[in-house]
Amino acid sequence: MSGPLVRAEGLTVAFPGRDGPRPAVDGVSLVLERGQSLVIAGESGSGKSLLCRTLLGIQPETAAVSGRLEWKGRSLIGLTEAEWRPLRGGSIAMVFQDPTAALNPLLTVGRQIMDAVRAHRRCSGAEARARAIEVLGLAGLPEPERRLASYPFELSGGMRQRVAIALALSAGPELIIADEATTNLDVSIQAQIVNLLIRLRRELGLALIFVTHDLDLAAEVGGELMVIYAGQPVETGEVRQVLADPCHPYTRGLLRSAPTLRSTRAEPLRPIPGQAPRLGTVGAGAPFRDRCSVVVEGLCALRRPGWTEAGPGHRVACHRFARDGRAGLP
Amino acid sequence: MNAPILHAVAIEKVFAGRRGGAAVQALKGVSAVLHAGETLGLVGESGSGKTTLARILIGIEQPTAGEVRFRGRPVRSRAEWRAVRREVQYVFQDPFTALCPTMPIGAALAEPLAIHRLCPPAERPGQVERMLGLVGLDPGMARRLPSQLSGGQRQRVNLARALMLEPKVLICDEIVSGLDVSVQAQVLALLVELQRKLGLSLIFISHDLRVIRYMSDRVQVMLLGETVEEGSAAEVFDAPRHSYTRALLAAIPDRNRAPA
Repeated sequence: MSGPLVRAEGLTVAFPGRDGPRPAVDGVSLVLERGQSLVIAGESGSGKSLLCRTLLGIQPETAAVSGRLEWKGRSLIGLTEAEWRPLRGGSIAMVFQDPTAALNPLLTVGRQIMDAVRAHRRCSGAEARARAIEVLGLAGLPEPERRLASYPFELSGGMRQRVAIALALSAGPELIIADEATTNLDVSIQAQIVNLLIRLRRELGLALIFVTHDLDLAAEVGGELMVIYAGQPVETGEVRQVLADPCHPYTRGLLRSAPTLRSTRAEPLRPIPGQAPRLGTVGAGAPFRDRCSVVVEGLCALRRPGWTEAGPGHRVACHRFARDGRAGLP
Repeated sequence: MNAPILHAVAIEKVFAGRRGGAAVQALKGVSAVLHAGETLGLVGESGSGKTTLARILIGIEQPTAGEVRFRGRPVRSRAEWRAVRREVQYVFQDPFTALCPTMPIGAALAEPLAIHRLCPPAERPGQVERMLGLVGLDPGMARRLPSQLSGGQRQRVNLARALMLEPKVLICDEIVSGLDVSVQAQVLALLVELQRKLGLSLIFISHDLRVIRYMSDRVQVMLLGETVEEGSAAEVFDAPRHSYTRALLAAIPDRNRAPA
């Protein structure tokens, strides 16, 4: 079959507010081909988690979804629960930030995975058990057969996240969404989990949406990058290309705020002043304008910037960049 | 060289097993030295003992063996600890749980002054206002509740509260871990500025080696209750000697590293 796995155009997810709807995801367009990876980078309140939840149809009930969102050419907007059921887990699976909350503390690992297998496929207990062992192995758990009888509390945080990944793999999805799935783990475990997700993408041909606030981690994952601010994508392109040549003032600010292994106080970090706008208060205009040092007078406050080409496949939504190119950037 | 301002000497800590479980030896003869005006970075993963060590340094945990010295003198009695706690303050990781949800910020900041009976009640609001200014917050914050503040603002309030007693040493335990990158940079910049203005000595605990490198003069790497490497930040980061330090450094994501 041809065509991308996921296509979104002008996808908007808004909550009701006193003065009308407040968009928390605001006009997101994206295309994800099978086997490809997309990294969504943004800070808290950027709408990145809500975007992921919307792809899975688990956004809050008060949220109104508009625009286009398609899975293999079929619209995902307005599906009934019965229509979502085979897609969720069966086609699109999610790995959450906190594996302790994602797993049922009262059931063994094996029982939880076998339940997930049989929710999507009619099969015998023995077949479900075999599949559970298979996915635990894929997720890199040593002695997967013995792990079936373990309860989540008997496992370390890293092991629990591997179980959560096994659970996500259990019904054979084509897309895995990892929402800050490595954020609370120790650094060495974080590296292992990221490598596992990269390997699964390569070996099983899975598409991956990796959500993070860490641009260095984004570079390790690779693929396409979407930097999102206040619900709006501000810069997209191949990860390393964007990080080597960031063209949006926000992306540049993020990179200058984040220390690297070579940062010392001799070269002070340069924080982005102020804080992110509250949900749905951006209105018309460039979302980053209140914290931006290169605002275009009379334009950024009024009109939302369109995309400007910064290189092959590298696009930036910034009035300053559109007008002055790289020379105008802070 | 002068005596260190804070010195943990050969600390052992054993936690008794719960419900008949095996005892856990959290610290196996760890020493740590903090000189006046410097920043000591403590690095390690969960279970390395870095937080236990920090808790022993402010006396909220008792070592099984070993002792803590402040300005060269052992701290043992309750009275000695009370005196040290004015000079050594602890800033917690989660600024929300560290603040009482129903107490306005101003009252939370004035509380340490009241507990230590430091300044007359009438002068406390003035002190609170001065401190809010020092950490870059508006004086109007004093009337707000923690729930009305952003994560970065709460962490500033936490810092302000730790500084109310004009301590000499600040122990910062993962204080920027939960913050967004742009806010994290603001808090780090504030901490560097406060250290310079107030002549603070810092123990900075983090699992993020990038932040440790940025903040620290000296670094101590811990693994399973032991110190595996210590030295100047430049030595530890540019020429790590222990295999564990090298593994930790390799695990840190880095946009400048060649793709795998």
